[in-house]
Amino acid sequence: MSRFTLEAVDWSAWMPPVDPATATPAQRAALDGSPQANSEYFRTLAHDVDSLAERSPLFHAVMFVPRGLRRAERELATVVVSIINGCVYCSSVHARRFVELTKQPEIIQALYDQGLDTPLPPRLRAVVDYAAKLTRSPADMTIDDLKPLRAVGMTDLEIHDLTNAVAMFANANRLMQTLGEPVLPPAAA
Amino acid sequence: MTQTDLLAEFTGPVPARSERPQIMRHSQGSHDALLSPADPGGLTRAERAWIAQRVATLSGHPGLAAHYQALLDQRGAIGASSPRDAAIAEHVTRVTTAPGTATRAHIQALRDRGLSERDIVALTQIVAFVSYQVRAAAGLALLAKDPRP
Repeated sequence: MSRFTLEAVDWSAWMPPVDPATATPAQRAALDGSPQANSEYFRTLAHDVDSLAERSPLFHAVMFVPRGLRRAERELATVVVSIINGCVYCSSVHARRFVELTKQPEIIQALYDQGLDTPLPPRLRAVVDYAAKLTRSPADMTIDDLKPLRAVGMTDLEIHDLTNAVAMFANANRLMQTLGEPVLPPAAA
Repeated sequence: MTQTDLLAEFTGPVPARSERPQIMRHSQGSHDALLSPADPGGLTRAERAWIAQRVATLSGHPGLAAHYQALLDQRGAIGASSPRDAAIAEHVTRVTTAPGTATRAHIQALRDRGLSERDIVALTQIVAFVSYQVRAAAGLALLAKDPRP
């Protein structure tokens, strides 16, 4: 059975996070600009406040800015990156977002159970293959890697957005995996 | 920092990127906050350039590695031989190439070498940021080389 899950997962830091009661005004502002101001993860990143204050709007722009790549496809790309890197927490959060948007848990379950080569509709296949190669071997990318994306109708803006979603999770996974650990729900633990 | 989009130096112009000004702005802002912070805390500006150079090298992006090497040269070399530097180098390699193998004990090892919580977060953010940058540059370079209207 896969260690990845569609259940909600928590995260626990390997250092004491910033305490909201003693946070500086700059830390408070950076936390308020983050997706979940009170989460242990963002309170940990708030130790280096100036980088958090740039990263949160970057993350938001990559994942949520309108037009371009469909939100569900951005989420799928981040799940693929998280599976490759082994980030159980990230894959759970973003798999759940994909399912909210598409109502297709079976796609995630197939990726978890059968791996990234599981049969998929052509457009999702192209997203998964590009995300996997850019994650594993960025130095080996060639213009031939654009062909499957263009064959399913993707514009340059969509490919741009896909590239950024993949790159953003090279970032997110590393922070999540090396500053703390996932805490699984009791039944799955 | 006067640069507005460092990444464009390594990709060539990508028209789609100009439709995403917030990504451009905060990717550059992240670079500046991590590599040239107003107050570097316990991680010097030279050490920050050294860390970024190692990540770019390990990730196979010679262009970004040269950029960070030039930054390091401007800032003076670092010893890279103290137990503290060795602990930092180990963390950089692990987070870049095998993030799934990190444990609580690795964070404790950095604390034992005198790094503060802020220093450890900044160090890890630099590795995570350059890992982002390498992949963004690799993908966008394809669009610069073979654009479609």
